[in-house]
Amino acid sequence: MPPTRTAARSKKPPPDGFEDIEDTLLEFQNKMKDAENASHEGKKKYEMVWPIFQITHQRSRYIYELYYEKEAMSKKLYDWLLKNGYADANLIAKWKKQGYEKLCCLRCIQTKETNFSATCICRVPRDQLKEGQDIQCVNCGCRGCSSGD
Amino acid sequence: MASLPARPPAGRPPLPPGWTEHKAPTGHTYYYNKETKASTYTRPIAQPQNFHSSFAAAPPPASRPPSNYNPNADLFNPLATPLTNTNFNPNPQQQNFQRQNFHHATPQQDHGGGHRGGHHNFQERRRQQPEDRPKHRYDIPNCQPWVLVKTKLGRRFVWNKDTNESFWKFPPDIMKGVVEFDRIEREKRERRQRGEQSEDENDTMADIEAEIAAAEEEISAEVVEVEGDLGMENEEEYEEMEVTDDEEEKIENPSKRQRTEEPPEDQPLEMGEDDIAWQLAAMEEGYDEEEEEEGLPLTEEDCKALFKELLDDTRTNPYTPWEKVLDSGLLYDDERYKALPTMKARKDCWDEWSREKIHFLKEQRAKQEKTDPKIPYFAFLQSHATPKLFWQEFRRKFKKEPEMKDTKISDKDREKWYREHINRLKLPQSTLKSDLSALLKAQPLALLNRSTTLNTLPSSILTDLRFISLPTSTRDSLVETFISTLPPAPEDATALAEDEAQASKRQAERERRERALAERERRVREDKKKQQRDLQYGKGRLREEEMEIERAMRVGKEGLRGQLGNFEGDGKGDKRRDE
Repeated sequence: MPPTRTAARSKKPPPDGFEDIEDTLLEFQNKMKDAENASHEGKKKYEMVWPIFQITHQRSRYIYELYYEKEAMSKKLYDWLLKNGYADANLIAKWKKQGYEKLCCLRCIQTKETNFSATCICRVPRDQLKEGQDIQCVNCGCRGCSSGD
Repeated sequence: MASLPARPPAGRPPLPPGWTEHKAPTGHTYYYNKETKASTYTRPIAQPQNFHSSFAAAPPPASRPPSNYNPNADLFNPLATPLTNTNFNPNPQQQNFQRQNFHHATPQQDHGGGHRGGHHNFQERRRQQPEDRPKHRYDIPNCQPWVLVKTKLGRRFVWNKDTNESFWKFPPDIMKGVVEFDRIEREKRERRQRGEQSEDENDTMADIEAEIAAAEEEISAEVVEVEGDLGMENEEEYEEMEVTDDEEEKIENPSKRQRTEEPPEDQPLEMGEDDIAWQLAAMEEGYDEEEEEEGLPLTEEDCKALFKELLDDTRTNPYTPWEKVLDSGLLYDDERYKALPTMKARKDCWDEWSREKIHFLKEQRAKQEKTDPKIPYFAFLQSHATPKLFWQEFRRKFKKEPEMKDTKISDKDREKWYREHINRLKLPQSTLKSDLSALLKAQPLALLNRSTTLNTLPSSILTDLRFISLPTSTRDSLVETFISTLPPAPEDATALAEDEAQASKRQAERERRERALAERERRVREDKKKQQRDLQYGKGRLREEEMEIERAMRVGKEGLRGQLGNFEGDGKGDKRRDE
């Protein structure tokens, strides 16, 4: 019988530089746990997943900025983080594209899931919305993530 | 203004003879005249019959913008019609009609009936035209009795509260006030957009809004009063005339009546002078701030530097996200936080600072000597490992310890060292001691000499199992005695000398290389010069040859003649000489 694979066994140790961001990542982890265990009382059905999306976005953004903008991370560490699910690689891939620099979540640009094959309302630039129109998208509670805003 | 009220049929005036009432398939009631074969939705009334016909003949024109509508502003009073009848079509004819209507109604019928009739007519007309009614009232600075009234459709007129005059076209003296008012409004809006409004300002704005709302109500009430004055000059009569106002107001009437009982002189207080004063003061404050900002000698660079200093001083971790830094609230209290005007600038500055800081830290770490992760683990083994525990038990017991969780060492190594250590612990003390002395003796003098202490032992000793297998007290004494026997590190000097020798060697090497480089360059330069000289020479040669050729070419006929001439000249000379 093969030995059981525990998380600790199969996991490669994090590369150098992980200690610097460990605390922040731990905080994100705790936040995520809180969001997962939060009560659904008085919330709409779709509202419940908003914090999950938001925390994921924040964490991915944090790692993205550290690696691409501040260059504070080694490639090795970045890959390790992506592999271990600390950041969403697909979302980060979108951020590198022009016009998607602030994208809130991948569901908001998934046109196949909408009735009129359009993107989410949060992708609409603010100046194209009506004056004083306050939006919050159903997918992730984004209030507007177009690059021009 | 909701749907038409369902009127009790009993209260309706009787139809004139010849008219009959019918219900259309859509549910509307309409009226049919058998004699004239005319049908209408409007209920024909017996008395003002003639009037209706005139009304029908001259249908009210659709409301037009006041500017092209009003050739002489004095002639008509927008307040009278629009504010009461709510269809805002200041048409003199209609005004007349209304008045006439009232005059007709009052003497002949009891109030209720007549006015309901009147109301009905207005309702009908209201349906046809876009409605307009006063929406907001603003005080015009420096033109006290005059107020600026804005209607629902966005048109504006001025109204004198005292004399009840109102004009679409602003008289010149009021024009100035209106322009001033517009300017103030614009500035307010801009300030609001910039979001620099403080909270108390917001409060006062809310107050003002509430006041405006109150003022609106009162205007409508007041306006009814105005109409009453115009129509009948009689307060009691006017109360009935409110029928001309719409439904909701009717409901609210009781309170309004009480209010309209007050003298109109009290009303300017609604949007009081102090509000304007406050507005002006706020404006001045705004100006002052701006001036201050402009007056500061700080450049953008200075501001950024200040903010960065603040970040340095608060010992912020450059790896934390910006949101967390803001949430921690450490920055807000400091003056330097305000050095940068916008949040965006602050974020940019933060990015820059954290980037620099991270790179600085990285460099520092690279310079620092790397400590072997084995050292803390071995120290841990020394203090905690016992032959009583198997490796599995030991691991389970201490799995929370940082030494056991350190990812730099693999579990396998940990296990191996643990087992070896335990095996060594079972050996007799004498062998352990001899092993330790062997280890110490094996160290080069450069690392271990008299100047070393127990805290500055080289890592080669600290990471050896022989070092930790003895209990600390016996081991320390052993090591100290051994160190005291060592010579006082003369090797340092030799090492230094070696270093120096190496350095000088390197220096010499470098100089040599430099010299070589210079030599080579000189040679190259010489080569170049030589080449150039050759080139120059070649060119000169070429030029000379060319000149020669040119000269040869120039020797044409002319040259020949010249030569001939020469010869002739010579010949003449010869002849002369002969003569």
